[in-house]
Amino acid sequence: MKLLAATNRYYLLLAGLLFTIGSVLLYVGVLWALREEVEERLFQQREYLTRAVQRTGKLPNTPFEGRTSLSATPQPVGLRDVLLLEPLENELEPYRQLTFVLPLEGRPQWVSLSKSLLETKDVRRLILQLLLGVLGSLLGGMVVLNRWLARRLWAPFERTLHQLQGYDVRHHQVLHLPDTRIEEFTQLNRALTSMSQRVANDYTMLKEFTENAAHETRTPLAIMQAKLEQLLQLPDLPPAAAPLISDLYTATQRLTRLHQSLTLLSKIENRQFIAAEPIRLEEVLREKLHQLEDFIQAKRLRLEVSLTPVPALPLHPALVDSLVSNLLHNAIRHNHEGGLLRVLLTATELEITNTGPALPAKEQPAQFFERFRKHNMASDSPGLGLSIVQRIGELYGFDIHYAYAPEQALHTLRVVF
Amino acid sequence: MKILIVEDEPTLRTSLADYLRQDGYVIELAANYAQAHEKIKLYQYDCVLLDLTLPDGNGLNLLRTLKADSSPAGVLVVSARDALDDKVLGLELGADDYLAKPFHLSELSARLRAIIRRRNFQGNRHILFQELTVFPDQGQVLVKGEPVALTRKEYDLLLYLLAHPGRVLTKESIAEHVWGDAADAADSFDFIYTHLKNLRKKLQEKGAGDYIRTIYGMGYKLSVE
Repeated sequence: MKLLAATNRYYLLLAGLLFTIGSVLLYVGVLWALREEVEERLFQQREYLTRAVQRTGKLPNTPFEGRTSLSATPQPVGLRDVLLLEPLENELEPYRQLTFVLPLEGRPQWVSLSKSLLETKDVRRLILQLLLGVLGSLLGGMVVLNRWLARRLWAPFERTLHQLQGYDVRHHQVLHLPDTRIEEFTQLNRALTSMSQRVANDYTMLKEFTENAAHETRTPLAIMQAKLEQLLQLPDLPPAAAPLISDLYTATQRLTRLHQSLTLLSKIENRQFIAAEPIRLEEVLREKLHQLEDFIQAKRLRLEVSLTPVPALPLHPALVDSLVSNLLHNAIRHNHEGGLLRVLLTATELEITNTGPALPAKEQPAQFFERFRKHNMASDSPGLGLSIVQRIGELYGFDIHYAYAPEQALHTLRVVF
Repeated sequence: MKILIVEDEPTLRTSLADYLRQDGYVIELAANYAQAHEKIKLYQYDCVLLDLTLPDGNGLNLLRTLKADSSPAGVLVVSARDALDDKVLGLELGADDYLAKPFHLSELSARLRAIIRRRNFQGNRHILFQELTVFPDQGQVLVKGEPVALTRKEYDLLLYLLAHPGRVLTKESIAEHVWGDAADAADSFDFIYTHLKNLRKKLQEKGAGDYIRTIYGMGYKLSVE
């Protein structure tokens, strides 16, 4: 619900309640005042008649507005509401009647003075109409005024919101939000502007840091690798040195790979991969599988491939490459001789299944996505492959599931687009 | 063959120079942007090995200078940055190849060779080794004048070995050269052996000598002895 609608609702509720109470009170009050007035007039008439009768001994002829009737039979004395027939319109109408006793010609006579309440009915209607009219126009006016105010006063807020929606730290932009007439919005805009400046600075620094760190570690690695290679070329290298150098060389290779994976992870987390282009997944998979042919054959894996053409997805080519590579490498590396590798691509998901080492029952699937967790402790891989897969999945909103079927020790990783 | 190495890290610079000198190149060194700029303005090189991150400037500007002077030198960019954008930018500016740090020296020299071959001989150059003749741009291998049918991988392997006669090539560098990133899917490099075995067999069937030696624990070497 919009803020305006919400406040309006409360305003209208309160106004409606107050108006109802006010109207009822006013209605009852006016009604009571009118009756009082009618009764007072009846009492005045009684007073007049009584005095006249005392003075002259008979009823004066003065016609009163309203009706007067005489009765020799006893009538209940006092005020009451009656309905009398209006001869002209031939219908019953409400009257207020005052009955009292007057001694006329030696005998008590019951005099009833009646005064029409029709006027009060009219007044009542008028009041109701007025009240409803005023209430309606007031409430309506409030809504219209609020609308108009909202458009005028909230316009800077809407502008701020619009800018925020388009804000993307990767574009290194700083928000430029102007000051407004409304102090709160000005404060909000200033806070947001300075925040976006801080964020942009932090982002740039972080990015620079990653780049510098990458640069600073790459160069020593390159030196180590180059020196080791030179060492290997020495003509009179003692035979005992060869395996030592070879191990060192392998270690630098592992370090290099670890470094590449970590850099990639931090880049994904910094969202440094913006550019996207339409990628056809089945082509990427086909190409990768072709590249990996030797490795699949070396382990004599049974390859089952089913690739349904999928509409091109807007992705970053390097990330797709990394995603597919990691999944396939994972499935090959952790497979056993003569095992199964099944690659299934449908319109909604990519499923890669491989046979592999049996899992201890207590292992949780979620743990596989943790950094540096390995399926197989003896393996050379740093265990970052699935973390990378997961980060890429998060970036593109893909769901990644891991399933394990204990009977055949089948590991399945599913990427749901 | 004259090569200019632009690299600010002294130890890496000397390693590169030593390795390439052994390959028979004439090497000149530049430790920073200013030196490199002076040298490329004064002299002609067959190839420039260019590090992008220099203490006093961006290597990409040197590349721009070379292109602006329409220098015939090939350019192999060596950078610690491996972002795709950097690669694309480097290649768009006219670099011949791009290698991210860290790299194998043998890989670097193989790529250097390929660049020089492409630049200087318009592809009409062949590689000779004993009874072997290879025409890299036709992808043709001859043993004593007889063509040998090799698979793509076998051919790549042979070319890599031919680029480094007498050098020990590690299995890691061979795997990365021939299989690229896919190499890290393997937990052993035994598959290289399979391909080498096939390659040896095919060459020997045509009457070539067995020049591929296994260096225990390290890798392979192409050698006449």
